[in-house]
Amino acid sequence: MANYAKKIIQAAMAKRYDEAVAHVYSYRTSYLKIANSKVDSIVTKDEESGSLFVSSKKRVFHTNIDRLSDSSIAAALRVAGANINGLQSKDDYNGIAQGPFKYAKEAGCDAKIVNYDNDLLCDVAYTAINSALDAGADNVAGTLIMSASKSTLSTSKDVNEEEESAYARLSLRTFVKGFSAQNVTAAKRLKDLKPEGFASSTAELAGMATKTGRISSGKYDVIYMQQPSGALFSMVNEMACIGNVETGGFLTGKLGKEIAHKSLTIYDDGGNPGLMSTSRFDEEGHPTQRTALVGDGKLLTYLHNNSTAIKYKTKSTGNAGLILPSPNVSVIKHDKKIGKLDDLIRRVDKGILVTNTWYTRFSNYLSGDFSTVPRDIAIYIEKGSPKFAIKQVDVGSATGIRVSENIIRMMKNVECSANDSIQTASWDADGYFVTPSVLVSGVSVTTA
Amino acid sequence: MSEMEDYSELVGYAISSAEKHDVDYADAYLQSANGRSYAVEQGRLNGSSYYEKSGIRIRLVKDKRLYTFTTNKMDKDKIGKLISGYKGFNGVDTVLSGEKAVTAKYKVEERKKLADADVLKDLLEIDKVLSKTKHMKFRSLYGMVGKVKTVFQNTDGSVIEAAIPAAQSFASITVESGRETRQRFLQFGGVGGYELLNRSKIEDTLLDEAKALVNVIDKGVRLSDSEMKRIRNVVIAPEITGIAVHESIGHPNEADRVFLREAAQAGTSYINKDNLGLEIGSPAVTIIDDPTIPNSNGFYLYDDEGVRSRPRTIVRDGIQDELLLNRSYARVLGKKSNAAARSDYYSNEPLIRMANTYLKPGSATFEELISEARDGVYIKSFMEWNIDDTRSFSRYQGSEAYMIKGGRLGKPVKNYRLESKTIDFWHAVRLVDREFELFLGNCGKGEPMQGVPVTMGGASALLSFG
Repeated sequence: MANYAKKIIQAAMAKRYDEAVAHVYSYRTSYLKIANSKVDSIVTKDEESGSLFVSSKKRVFHTNIDRLSDSSIAAALRVAGANINGLQSKDDYNGIAQGPFKYAKEAGCDAKIVNYDNDLLCDVAYTAINSALDAGADNVAGTLIMSASKSTLSTSKDVNEEEESAYARLSLRTFVKGFSAQNVTAAKRLKDLKPEGFASSTAELAGMATKTGRISSGKYDVIYMQQPSGALFSMVNEMACIGNVETGGFLTGKLGKEIAHKSLTIYDDGGNPGLMSTSRFDEEGHPTQRTALVGDGKLLTYLHNNSTAIKYKTKSTGNAGLILPSPNVSVIKHDKKIGKLDDLIRRVDKGILVTNTWYTRFSNYLSGDFSTVPRDIAIYIEKGSPKFAIKQVDVGSATGIRVSENIIRMMKNVECSANDSIQTASWDADGYFVTPSVLVSGVSVTTA
Repeated sequence: MSEMEDYSELVGYAISSAEKHDVDYADAYLQSANGRSYAVEQGRLNGSSYYEKSGIRIRLVKDKRLYTFTTNKMDKDKIGKLISGYKGFNGVDTVLSGEKAVTAKYKVEERKKLADADVLKDLLEIDKVLSKTKHMKFRSLYGMVGKVKTVFQNTDGSVIEAAIPAAQSFASITVESGRETRQRFLQFGGVGGYELLNRSKIEDTLLDEAKALVNVIDKGVRLSDSEMKRIRNVVIAPEITGIAVHESIGHPNEADRVFLREAAQAGTSYINKDNLGLEIGSPAVTIIDDPTIPNSNGFYLYDDEGVRSRPRTIVRDGIQDELLLNRSYARVLGKKSNAAARSDYYSNEPLIRMANTYLKPGSATFEELISEARDGVYIKSFMEWNIDDTRSFSRYQGSEAYMIKGGRLGKPVKNYRLESKTIDFWHAVRLVDREFELFLGNCGKGEPMQGVPVTMGGASALLSFG
């Protein structure tokens, strides 16, 4: 595969483009669907393909390479040649990163995941299902993914790097007596996935309601557990990408300004091999890194590729995207750590424990006004104790509350966190995040 | 857009290979797609992308277990190995409804050829107009044209070929007046040729939207929470009707939610196997999902399981009537499929999806809706919306909205939000407009997330809450 990437670059540069980037990859990925506490079906994808980026006189062009064959490469070059001169030049384009670069050592892949089969998928799935049922779940649903991939990136600026990756990811929703909880765990080593403990803790969370009750619209202190905390605050990483700054997001014009509680730190981490979905290099071959986005209450930087970094007279943060930068893993930390989740609950006089959110939608990306729906079990807390699970909509037994807030105001009101940081993901947000449960004061909550 | 290599013989090969392995059922779905897209932001071309891709999906049901393979490695040897490598598993029984074998070939015409379309020029022209518009702070435009050819074959004897062109454009605008901003996202186009992206119509729409948003900023009033709660009469325009029919009627009537197959990510439903036929709304409410509307974003004549599409009446005169079905859930209910199985690409499994969902028009005029409302709010468009897991509790935040006073439209309202239970919302429908409009959307569902093109809309309606 490495040869294909080099071959594409050689063929592109023979056409006298100023620059070229070829990214080729192959992967095998399976999705096992869990429904009604059984394995429902399995989908397996076996693919190989790539992409070609070329620039000429500040005109930039991007196309896919359908499969790794000489005819597909020739087709991609033909499409580039036929179309690039008809494009408008991008006057603020400043080129891809110049290599060669030194990269961190590759961590290697878990052979158990690389060589997975249906039997292994089903073993892991039923381990999780049975564990959740044993912990009191009356229904279990979810998706188990195993994936192994190889990729090579070559550029005309002295980059030629290969990478292998393998991971397992389990998303599980457990139902207990009309309430549910959902979590995601992922690992690069199968032994780190721990489906048994993960499934039982998800079932225990769904089953924590001893009684139900209703609340009124108003201001509450809200504890966001890891999944909603990450889904909400990782939007900082997304909106720190310079493309979103230029087109109007809640971080536009905020560089150096106060946007968060002084003790809240948010990083963009692309290079940590211990994290999911990281790589040693970005899409132009620049080494990835950990970048502090928010610190001491202020927005410290935006996220750049080589071209946008030159435009803004700064350095690449290793976030290419050839057309525009894109975020890596969001890492959220709070200096004031208050023991376990229970200790966080004890600090709340009148509040809500939110275990998951979905359909986070902005009424104005520039101002940061949004609302989001706590989807799974949410617990009303009074005087430091969980009182009841919130249940307000009768037809579908839904949890009838909605958070209506401003993202910057909410970041300023993050009072403290538990010492329970984990890496997870959410259906409601792109990518992965590492975050503890956090306590946010004075959150506006509405009900039906 | 060039002609692509023809891999259609692989479809027949896959089916004959599957038949040799003693399967209960198999289908093969070949997809070849090509197209191009452009993003123009703040007056400059930020990026363009061209693609040509093809691949095949093979679904096997053997010993009642469903297994799906997808690959873009288009050779017989690879496909043969995928089929012969099938291995069963301990899981759910999958049995499909019996459906008539079909041989069909259809294509959607392009009245203006996509190959000749100068999409970039049009986007830059629209941007130029927007850039000269007072109060315009940010603007992003995206345009794409593309074609998809599919070949479907199954072990029932169906062979279906389709050729579907599509043209779409997205626009995002932010206006500013004083220190206040408002935003709007809009989508244009559908299934067909470049005639669906009329530049001057898009320009006019965006200019009208910008003007209306500035008017809301400059002249709009803010309601307190208690004032909002006191509002009993709300007139919703087709854009609001559309998001409401899609989110609170269409999704909860997808059988894979009702029977909890998609419970983990897509969510569940207030409809369950024991309350089919539920009274969801007033007798004025009839909601239809129709894939056969020509040139609509959700158009198709055969679904991804080879079943002929038709309009589906989800709610008839206020009563839940028809779930959206694929062959698997049709069998569970002892019915025929109503052709709701769709995938976004060959590389994903078909799920149960909507197409074009709308509130059936009534007999009133818009003026009658406003007049009958007497005092209340008219919501013309929205930005923010969301809904809970069972689709029982939704909110639509007005982007452009107006007070109704004495049966006439009054001042704009800045912050009105309609937040209610699904059952209350649809029971509140008192009068339905005779006019009809559809809006484009991309509907996301599942893991991996699949986005399929849809439309949603219908008639304006007067809602009177008790």
